[in-house]
Amino acid sequence: MNEKSDRARLRDGTPLEDLVRIDDGLIAARVFTDPEIYELELERIFLRNWVAVAHETEIPNPGDYVTRWIGEDPVIVVRDKDGEVHILLNSCSHRGVEVCRASRGNVSQLVCPYHGFRYKLDGELASIPSHKEAYDGRLDKTKFHLHRARVGTYGGLIFGTWDAQAPPLEEYLGDMRWYLDLLLNRTEGGVEVVGSPHRWVVEANWKTGVDNFIGDGLHTFMAHRFAVELGVLPEDPLIGWFGYHISVGNGHGLAMVGAPERIPLPPYLGLPQELWPHFERSLTPEQRQVFEKTGTIHGSVFPNLSLLNTTTISTEEGVPRVPFLTLRVWIPRGPHRMEILSWFLVEKEGPDWYKDASRKNYERTFGMTGTFEEDDTDVWISLTRANKGAYARRHQVFNYEMGLHREPRPKAEWPGPGAAYYGDYCEANQRCFFQRWLQCMTEV
Amino acid sequence: MASAFLPPADPLYQQVIVFLYEEARLLDNWRLEEWLTLLADDIVYLMPVRITREKNRGSEFDEDLYHFEENLASLKTRIRRWETQFAWGENPPPRTRRFLSSILVERGDGEDELKVTSSLLLIRNRGDAPEVSFLSAERQDVIRQTPDGLRLARRVILPDQSVLGLESLFIL
Repeated sequence: MNEKSDRARLRDGTPLEDLVRIDDGLIAARVFTDPEIYELELERIFLRNWVAVAHETEIPNPGDYVTRWIGEDPVIVVRDKDGEVHILLNSCSHRGVEVCRASRGNVSQLVCPYHGFRYKLDGELASIPSHKEAYDGRLDKTKFHLHRARVGTYGGLIFGTWDAQAPPLEEYLGDMRWYLDLLLNRTEGGVEVVGSPHRWVVEANWKTGVDNFIGDGLHTFMAHRFAVELGVLPEDPLIGWFGYHISVGNGHGLAMVGAPERIPLPPYLGLPQELWPHFERSLTPEQRQVFEKTGTIHGSVFPNLSLLNTTTISTEEGVPRVPFLTLRVWIPRGPHRMEILSWFLVEKEGPDWYKDASRKNYERTFGMTGTFEEDDTDVWISLTRANKGAYARRHQVFNYEMGLHREPRPKAEWPGPGAAYYGDYCEANQRCFFQRWLQCMTEV
Repeated sequence: MASAFLPPADPLYQQVIVFLYEEARLLDNWRLEEWLTLLADDIVYLMPVRITREKNRGSEFDEDLYHFEENLASLKTRIRRWETQFAWGENPPPRTRRFLSSILVERGDGEDELKVTSSLLLIRNRGDAPEVSFLSAERQDVIRQTPDGLRLARRVILPDQSVLGLESLFIL
């Protein structure tokens, strides 16, 4: 047996390729629930890809830090005195104790509470107590720095990877940058994170969140049907259909959804007019062309970052809807559990009334207590729970055929990069995610 | 030290206790329309995000982002949602039990207002899972005396967790 086929099989002999059949639109339930697959993901997905950890506006000043996660590895995201951002494994080089014990703050050095090893904010070992006596002055301090991840930023978003071979972040994001610009770089000042992210734990596999955000337009009518019942979304099973579903490649994808012609849509998601001149200056004509006709953007960046920019519903009778932007990471916490870490972001240039209303709409619909959020997490928990058993693991296969035979639209119709399909009732993006997933899981 | 807190024998203290117990009972029994009648029209209902900070490095509560940032209209929207058959997180309904203790009452800033702090333990169970999830918190309430009885005018919920262990939260 050669190395590749060995790596690509599970312990019971099942080839991973059998579980993810992209061309047939079939994905085994086991992919979402098998502990063996989960352990492999920590190595083959989370050690090899660029993982989003923070936004620059969370750590604006020298010494500012937040503690976050790359897979199950805890990291410190810190800005040093020269303004450079570092991502450090939160584990002392001596005995592995956490050198940072809060979730955010400001420090001048990182000090281990066990033996007092001190580190500079770039991870370099600065001093050891009684160095001369304890180590006869002979320990080479340059060898015992904190483990450093590579750092990349785009649109203020900070990514880290442990993989020295990984391509630069810009290349990794590829064409997804064109779309990320619509969210993060649509004004000169960009967006800023407001406050600290919502964080909560849900008994569902981390991929359930990606799978939904990257391209699931169909669930809107059923999972969020309360909004139809309340009369704030139209009684139309095609409600989430009208728009483009774009497989960007490399496991990234998104959808830009509008509305049927009979329902007039405000331009630019209903963002305040004060911001429109910024779009003129910051976006290309092609970007503005597609952005202007959009009411909702949802998508994911491989492996576990998702994004949503939408208006959802009015949360107060008589008060107009205001769009909000959230980014979130689905942090793996075991095969059947994830932590959701969800940021609210807003344009720095936004008028105060909009920042205020946007924040409340996010909190009330897609924050931890959000009415829409709750619908989603409920079904993700359910699908994780229902497919842990031996039978489901062996025989349950999920259908990902939606849009399998649809052709992407020509450039003349959709000027953005990627394969753009008309109609967000499509699973091309989910297949794009799992294709990349399979590639990571099987290649040596 | 002279305490500003009303003694338990004070009839006003006893009124407040009964008010809070009754409120908890309405919520535990999902009698949400009745619960709404206990709220003042100008109610402010907040639950800030908590973060872990080192000692003496400022408040752990984030004043920029909230789990709940509600008024009467937005609470009503949440309840209208719950009343549909399609609030999946509440159908089948979770079973909740609110335990209240350490209730302290003092005179508030307004003449007719009382400042009330209490400890809340919310136990939540769902479906056929034997496990429960829970949330413990301090509640800082302002309760107003009106001709129609006591009304909740302000509630700030200070959770004891920075990463919440419940998949969702409805009303505390």
